[in-house]
Amino acid sequence: MANPLLEVSDLEVAYGDVGALWGVSLHVDPGTIVAIVGANGAGKTTLLRTVSGLLTPKAGDIRLAGQSLVGKAPEAIARLGIAHVPEGRGLFRQMTVLENLELGAFQPKARPRTKELLDKAYALFPRLKERAQQKAGSLSGGEQQMLAIARATMSEPSLLILDEPSLGLSPLVVQQMFALIQTLHGQGVTILLVEQNIHQALKVADYAFVLKTGSLAMQGTGAELIADPEIQKAYMGVLE
Amino acid sequence: MFNLPPPDILLQLSLNGALGGAMYGVAAVGLSLIFGTMRLIFLAQGAMIILAAYFVRALFYGLGIDSFLSLLIVVPVGLGVGWLLYQGLFRRAAAEADRNVSLLIAVGLMFLVQNLMTVVWGGNTAAVVTSYTATGIELFGVRTSFTRSMGFLIALAGTGLVVLFLRRTIIGKAVRAASEDMDAATLMGISPHRVNAIAFAIGISLAGAAGVAVATTFPFNPFAGFIFSLKALVALALGGIGNVGGALAGGILLGLIEAYVQFFISGGWTNAIAYGVFLLVLMFKPEGLFSRPYKKA
Repeated sequence: MANPLLEVSDLEVAYGDVGALWGVSLHVDPGTIVAIVGANGAGKTTLLRTVSGLLTPKAGDIRLAGQSLVGKAPEAIARLGIAHVPEGRGLFRQMTVLENLELGAFQPKARPRTKELLDKAYALFPRLKERAQQKAGSLSGGEQQMLAIARATMSEPSLLILDEPSLGLSPLVVQQMFALIQTLHGQGVTILLVEQNIHQALKVADYAFVLKTGSLAMQGTGAELIADPEIQKAYMGVLE
Repeated sequence: MFNLPPPDILLQLSLNGALGGAMYGVAAVGLSLIFGTMRLIFLAQGAMIILAAYFVRALFYGLGIDSFLSLLIVVPVGLGVGWLLYQGLFRRAAAEADRNVSLLIAVGLMFLVQNLMTVVWGGNTAAVVTSYTATGIELFGVRTSFTRSMGFLIALAGTGLVVLFLRRTIIGKAVRAASEDMDAATLMGISPHRVNAIAFAIGISLAGAAGVAVATTFPFNPFAGFIFSLKALVALALGGIGNVGGALAGGILLGLIEAYVQFFISGGWTNAIAYGVFLLVLMFKPEGLFSRPYKKA
């Protein structure tokens, strides 16, 4: 395979003495959508938080375009080109939609082009333009998720990390969300996606990894995994 | 029980209370900023105000610099001192999740500054007496002190500038973002140390501005600062933590309460009632009197 954009090797993470990830290795190739799926507590969010520097690994390496991220502060990792939309969205709820978007372009690379990036984001999310002066906390759940993603795109990241973008949204909005993810993908954005909505995630993903209690259980293309009888039995039974 | 005094007395009381309270307010704005990004109650704020007051006095008696003019020196110096204080004293502790270390450093700093002031300037009461110290002016048909009115203007201007900075500049917005959710802010590429240092720099420069107001209005001594910190804390609770305009309003309200208590009850009750109000607000309206309760989605 060509050089991966993100390469995680033998990653171990623990909360105090309690292990959360054991020897996880995965990679994300440029221009692809990669999904990490698994049950609640499998370590998906832990993995993402470690990649973006909010958690420090016990062992292993994380490389973005060949450069190791281990030991770097989250703000430094953000400046290297990773935009992480955390679980719960991480919006500044007391600040306006516009201010949230401006902060998305805070880093020196993007800041001088804030206006241009803002126009781009508004083109993709016209709803946010209407609500520019509203407080982020006053938006509906779907709009908040759109804002969180729009804010992340303001830094023109080389890797966009989405943690449970469909969480708490109505089925219709979930459809819009996945359509949006595909639109971003069409624009060439590389996406690492964590989802409990396994069926939807595997449908959009070029490649996927299945995490099970802190270890990698399976991997394959989205199409392969969706057809896998074990996956169907373990994770999608309720959906059939 | 008692007869309401005539309106001009009430107006006089309100004016004096509001003017004095604005100084608590400007101290509270500094506390609010520092608490916002660091989750630290900077108990040394009062000591820094008194230190600034001594500095203003030294500028006046040593170099003959007018005390209000010395704002032009004290405020920039405060910015620098605040920045250095953060980088030198608090930076390492701020990286710890446990805020107790930072709090202890603040308490240690307070005692150090108090005692250094005692060594350098002695423990007696000091004052800056200028040609206009006793000057009165007429406001709303009521006579009041010129220096107190200037102190009020300084508080208003200081708070106004801070609000403009927080609302209009991208760095100010980063400070607000970090106050609301530090983790999310770092994911935007905002450095916690940078916003903490900015909050400290502005906080201490506000202490400088408050020092000018104190020096020109009241006699002071090295240990007067602690009460100021406590009063600022009360103002902060009244105004709502994380609400800069509210902190100033909280200070003014506290000044009014003190003035009324002093007149209608007795001077001895002033502090007891001020701290009583503090506890009541924390118990029943911990988000402050001037914040709308925020609904969580």
